[in-house]
Amino acid sequence: MTPSFLLAAIPGVLLCAAFLSLVPLGRKLAPTLTVIASLAAFALAGVCAFLTLKHHVLVAVPDWIGIDGFGALLLMLVTLVGFLAALFSSGYMAVQARERTDRALRGYHVNFNLFLFSIVTVPMMQEVALTWIAIELTTIFSILLVSFESTSEALEAAWKYVILTMIGAGIALLGVIIFHQALLGSGPFTWDALVSGAGSFSPVLVEGGFILFLAGFGVKVGLVPLHTWLPDAHSQAPTPVCAILSGVETSAILYVVLRIFPVVRAHPELHLARWATIFGLISVGAAAFLLIQVRDIKRLFAFSTVEQMGIILTAAGLSSASSASVVPYQILTHGLAKSLCFFAAGSALIVAETREIAGIQGLIRREPVAGAALLVGSLAVAGAPPFALFLSELSIVKAGLASHYYAAVALLVFFIVVAFGAILYHVNRAVFGTPPPSVKRAPGLPRVCALVLVAGMALAVAFGVWLPPPIHSLIAMAGSSLGGLQP
Amino acid sequence: MIGYPLNDLFGGLFLLNAFAMVATRQIRGCLRFFLLQSFCLIASALIIGLLTGVRELFFVAGINLLTKLIIIPWLLRRSVPREIYARREISLVLNVPLALLIALLIAVFSFFAGRILTAGTAAFSTNVPIGIAGLLIGAYTIAVRREAVPQLLGLLSMENGAFFLGIGFSPDLPLPLIAEVAAAFDTLIVVVPIAILTRNIHERSGTTLVGSLTTLKEERAP
Amino acid sequence: MAVHVLLNILQVAFVLGLSPIFVGVLNRLKEVVQSKRGPSILQPYRDLGKLFAKDEVVSSESSWVFRVAPYIAFICPIFVALLIPVLTRFPLFFAFAGDMLAAGSVLALGGFFAALAAVDTGNPYGPMGASRTRMVSFLVEPVFMIVFFTVSFVAGSTIPYIVQTKWVTPPGSFFEPAHLLLLLAFFMIVLAEAGRIPVDNPSGHFELAMIDESKGLEYSGRAAALVKWGGYMKLTVLMIVFLNVLLVPWGLAATPDPLAAALAVLLVVVKILGFVVALVIIESSLSKLRLFRITEFLGASFIISVAAMMSQLFSGGAP
Repeated sequence: MTPSFLLAAIPGVLLCAAFLSLVPLGRKLAPTLTVIASLAAFALAGVCAFLTLKHHVLVAVPDWIGIDGFGALLLMLVTLVGFLAALFSSGYMAVQARERTDRALRGYHVNFNLFLFSIVTVPMMQEVALTWIAIELTTIFSILLVSFESTSEALEAAWKYVILTMIGAGIALLGVIIFHQALLGSGPFTWDALVSGAGSFSPVLVEGGFILFLAGFGVKVGLVPLHTWLPDAHSQAPTPVCAILSGVETSAILYVVLRIFPVVRAHPELHLARWATIFGLISVGAAAFLLIQVRDIKRLFAFSTVEQMGIILTAAGLSSASSASVVPYQILTHGLAKSLCFFAAGSALIVAETREIAGIQGLIRREPVAGAALLVGSLAVAGAPPFALFLSELSIVKAGLASHYYAAVALLVFFIVVAFGAILYHVNRAVFGTPPPSVKRAPGLPRVCALVLVAGMALAVAFGVWLPPPIHSLIAMAGSSLGGLQP
Repeated sequence: MIGYPLNDLFGGLFLLNAFAMVATRQIRGCLRFFLLQSFCLIASALIIGLLTGVRELFFVAGINLLTKLIIIPWLLRRSVPREIYARREISLVLNVPLALLIALLIAVFSFFAGRILTAGTAAFSTNVPIGIAGLLIGAYTIAVRREAVPQLLGLLSMENGAFFLGIGFSPDLPLPLIAEVAAAFDTLIVVVPIAILTRNIHERSGTTLVGSLTTLKEERAP
Repeated sequence: MAVHVLLNILQVAFVLGLSPIFVGVLNRLKEVVQSKRGPSILQPYRDLGKLFAKDEVVSSESSWVFRVAPYIAFICPIFVALLIPVLTRFPLFFAFAGDMLAAGSVLALGGFFAALAAVDTGNPYGPMGASRTRMVSFLVEPVFMIVFFTVSFVAGSTIPYIVQTKWVTPPGSFFEPAHLLLLLAFFMIVLAEAGRIPVDNPSGHFELAMIDESKGLEYSGRAAALVKWGGYMKLTVLMIVFLNVLLVPWGLAATPDPLAAALAVLLVVVKILGFVVALVIIESSLSKLRLFRITEFLGASFIISVAAMMSQLFSGGAP
């Protein structure tokens, strides 16, 4: 078993599952295949991460496909969330998509696997242009997932999603071409080559390329002036897809923006990191206040994603080369917490048959597991003390203070507190309180879903209390590659 | 040497088609201008390929010919109801002179940016600014159009602009062939889900005026 | 010198004598496209002859402007014909008396007097047509300006002869985006200024829809002939500027000998006939725009001309 085979097997498994899901053999086959494939992908990602820890990099095809610490971390996160989502989806879709045809359901699973496949390829691509294409694929394969429910709202959300993110991708492509030009043909067009050659780039090209990256991929990440599609798409898609979209897809796109940071750090005179801080803070601030006025539980968590992406970007802007590991840490903790939130929201949707926060009051009395998961997930995502996000946000603040950005840190803390209050206010209403009296007996929560909720809660709590040493060293490696230091 | 001026000629036509796509009311006209624009891109790739002897550019031209001039029109004709193409957009978001004026400002900006980016390089001085302008005007087309198909064509013309920029920016060190192929393939498969989406929207709401879809917002009637 | 004067006279005679036949060909072809037989291509001459032979009626309410205007409308295109390279590549007697801007304003002078005369009579349709022509002219004016500025950036001069040589010698700058955009913008304003479809329908007989024609409704006899002839010449002059200076600057006489001049006459006629065919295609395939859509049409031509100027400025000129 060579490393190259292992790495290629991850997307390979998902691709196979996508094709096999087309086989029309009952409604059970495709979900089962999806679960198996994503579990296999997760296991393979674990092995790859282990190998990466040992060798620092894992190369499948030199200059084309390979992962480093950051990539391995992201790969594990994506496949883990993907597995949980697939598991949740098998229960969720059985209830929610009862009335859909077999064909529609198969299409859903094909797209689900392809979508997962495309996200997995993002961190694996070493060639910058191919990374861009992988990101395009994440959009293409998720369009029909977002519009799956075929209500006019879902179609509208899908349209906004595809058009806006594609515009963003076009602008980012301009950035890719500019960086390619900056490299002047000295060797292959890889992230590593960009980092090692950064010192000799013309400052104009670095500035232009970075701004275009930030603006272009910023659309897909959901940075605030460009975020308008995000709450729509992330709330209208079927909930397991929302978990992937919000929990890991946005992070995977942000990963690409972060990849360019070492290049920017090679040109400190341009002060480009400042742009990241500014856009990050705008996102955090706007999302924090937008969080106050939501009515829809899924939109609540979608806005929280905007906020979290802002925090990550701010962290990247604030941290110095040596403290850059706060960024991957935040990505990891956010991915786990946010997917749990969406699983809980999906369970609430099954139990209460509405997304309105007012309609799911008293969730903990109707379905204790779902209620508990919603509470735990939102506490985790809001950054309450025992959870990992609290620690990572604390370390961002520490890193910012160490780099003497006092005003930015103060603003960040203020916005996080506002967002904390807003999330907990809404979730408090949803979880506790008295259930509306005239509810008919809704279908109970499928057992698989409850299982996923428990697993998610366990993960969220466990990572807050204890970070396994291998994960810790992966984060450190990711930090060093993000900071531009040689491992 | 007729090559350079000929390339310039196709550059000018490329930009002209970008303008035309902003201002054409008829959807079929918009599609035609997109095809013309793609043709200019292909011609420019061939000319630069001949001038510089870079073989990749011939592949770029071939792929674009196959996808943009043959497969995409075929796909669009198959998957989107025919009557949509005969429609006219009576109310554009902006009136035509104003829309064109803004497109013009975008083009001015692109020429300005192109000059900065190409300073001291071997880039083709018409391709870079016109490519940037094509990309940005494509994005702008999406903003001023309300119909689904012109918005999709705007997206595709953005890609055209990026290609046009790419072939002229560094003709001696082109992007790896596989990336070019993948990008062209990518434009192709993006059409499929968007066309399906357009048809779904058409079936559900009887219209493809996607610009007027605004039910999703925070302030909803309780 | 004498040869130059002779050539100048030939230029004027060319415009004066052949302009009706171009219109005749245009009208005939249009009818042929519509599967009709159409009038003879000599019909414009017959019209002019008939009108010259007729009595003239002048409203007693009108002032001298009404009587003078036909002469001005007739003479202005002739002046312009002296300024532009109709048949020769080398500058003639009046070549430096005025540049393209001057040519434009001389043409505009004719239009101005025609508009005044239309208001003068008190006929309700006259002022309406005059105000519409003014609207079109207002919109055309900036495009003219931008086109001339761009041309002067390219050629370093606005004298039509010099501009013509700029594009005729190396075909290099001929293919520049600037030139191309310029051509399109100029073509659109030629259509507008000459009152052709899609801006105006020259063969329309419905007064309410007229733009250009309604100015001449009150004229009769000789005055009407002069106005008509002036209109023919204006179209011809515009076509010549467009063709000889911008679109196909080749085929003009390079030396002042009679054979070259004769060849040039032939070639220019061929070029104009080619343009007439293009006009017929446009007029048969497009319909007249609504009045308020004309702003869009000319707005588009303005944008294109500015784009031309800009690509000229930013791409650093000719290689």
